[in-house]
Amino acid sequence: MSGLIARGLCGGYGARRVVGPVDLQLPVGRCTAVLGPNGAGKSTLLRLLVGILRPTAGEVEVLGRELLSLRRREAARLVGFVPQAVTVAFPLTVYEMVMQGRAPHLGPWRPAGPADEAAVEAAIRDLGLAAHRHTPVHTMSGGERQLVLLARALAGEPRLLLMDEPATGLDVRHQLALVDTVRGLVARGVGAAVVLHDWNLARRLADTAVVLDRGLVAAEGPPDEVLTTALVARVFGVTVERVAASEGPVLVPQHASVAASSIGAPKAPGGGPACRSDRAATRPPTPPDAVA
Amino acid sequence: MRRSADLLLGLGLLAAALASLLTGSAALSPAEVGTALVGGGTAEARLVVVSLRLPRLALALLVGAGLALAGAALQLLLANPLADPFLLGISGGGAAAATLAVVALPAAMLGLVPLAGVGGAALATGLVWWMARGPLGASSTRLILAGVAVNAAASAVILLVLALASGNRVPGALAVTMGSFAGASASRVGWLLPYTLLPAAVLLHHGRDLGLLGTGEESAAGLGVDVLVVRRQVFLAAAALCGGAVAFAGVIGFVGLVTPHLCRLVWGPAPRRLLVRSALLGAALTAAGDTLARRIVPGAELPVGVVTAVLGVPFFVALLRRSA
Repeated sequence: MSGLIARGLCGGYGARRVVGPVDLQLPVGRCTAVLGPNGAGKSTLLRLLVGILRPTAGEVEVLGRELLSLRRREAARLVGFVPQAVTVAFPLTVYEMVMQGRAPHLGPWRPAGPADEAAVEAAIRDLGLAAHRHTPVHTMSGGERQLVLLARALAGEPRLLLMDEPATGLDVRHQLALVDTVRGLVARGVGAAVVLHDWNLARRLADTAVVLDRGLVAAEGPPDEVLTTALVARVFGVTVERVAASEGPVLVPQHASVAASSIGAPKAPGGGPACRSDRAATRPPTPPDAVA
Repeated sequence: MRRSADLLLGLGLLAAALASLLTGSAALSPAEVGTALVGGGTAEARLVVVSLRLPRLALALLVGAGLALAGAALQLLLANPLADPFLLGISGGGAAAATLAVVALPAAMLGLVPLAGVGGAALATGLVWWMARGPLGASSTRLILAGVAVNAAASAVILLVLALASGNRVPGALAVTMGSFAGASASRVGWLLPYTLLPAAVLLHHGRDLGLLGTGEESAAGLGVDVLVVRRQVFLAAAALCGGAVAFAGVIGFVGLVTPHLCRLVWGPAPRRLLVRSALLGAALTAAGDTLARRIVPGAELPVGVVTAVLGVPFFVALLRRSA
């Protein structure tokens, strides 16, 4: 299989393990939704998979190559990343921000050429931002900024695209547009992973759902099969009703169940499966700012 | 628009240089200064122009360029418009270490003062970053508070050193704490050159990465920036620029804050263009500030730091009000 493969992946901040061990596959041409309650380790898992947080154990393979053996710029050409938020400390227009997505291809000195400009234009068009090309990003709403961040990642033409809550702050129309955009990318052979909080959006968007619970994969498979009322109650602590809609079953939350007390509960000391190097202690703990 | 702004910048730099060369206690006409520059005129005029005024101008240009470059780079690296070597205590840290070196080192080793300045500036940079950093860059509140803490520590060290120093070393130590180009000489300019040119080259090399870091560290890392490496090199380069500037001209505030913002307004956000224009405008503004400092009160010379503060503080207040 080509795509992104994680084996025994563990990581966290300082001595605190947040994720792992996790085994995961993100094939090209497929979309995977990463679901889980707050604090389950979704963002941390994404950082590990992108290679901007160094794992404490395990490995990530991208298109047959070990992620950590690649130079950062090389890795960024293969794996695009849409962070949850960015700082907009200085005025940048939409065009200037989307052009940042070409940086992995340009290196420190090469100026942007026609190919780069074409990729930027295509990304801006794909996300319906053409009218906003010269709008300063700091004047845009949170949802519009999400689209700009997505366009920036698309401009880099990555083989895999990992998105941390791209739907947050989007109105329903833009959420559906996001689904279309990501499905379009996946149809063109991109492997996508999307952190989402909306189960029903995950059903529309993803071929596979991965449910993360306290740093471990609690369930994995086609969204309709994975998102059972029992699993949602156990992992999210929410009682849901599955309602048949014309395009498939829809989950409707009823109320928070008793099991909610376990949400975000710290892992018991020594609880959960061990990470390889937790036992071997071959590598020193990585500081929280560790960016490979 | 950019073309004409570049032209204006060039003319401004030229005008600042000429005004600086025509300013001084010796009464020399523009014609006498010009003749002296090309090696003619009286020996006295040549001495004043070539050995005093020219080095003074060169020192002001180098220090101004260095401080503005450091400010521009730090603002991007920390993703915060309030970053400035003076406010963050980087110049203060450099001054504290340089003062200590001036007082404590044997006379034969005073050549090490700039290195001490760079070391102190680097230590202050590391401390400020450690105190202020957050996942989306440094928050303004923490950044300014960290600067307050480092500046307080630096002032304490300076006061302690001055209190304990033997009399003949005090003037040298005081010169470090008070920004002035009065002590300029050709050899000092020569010594400062590597402290300016080398870090400038490092910062320009990382120009594009700095632009990406302006949107936060995680965002930049996702776009292929090796954040650990770039951050270390940019911090060291900024510390070298500020430490060198402090050791040769003392503490001069606000050039590093104001200049990059003015350049961003005129030339836009492209990071490498911003760095180069900041260096040139910082040089021009500092040379002009020094001329002003010598002319504004007849018969007296103000420290140039007073002039930059008078111009810079209102600007800082405006920035603070805007940045919420």
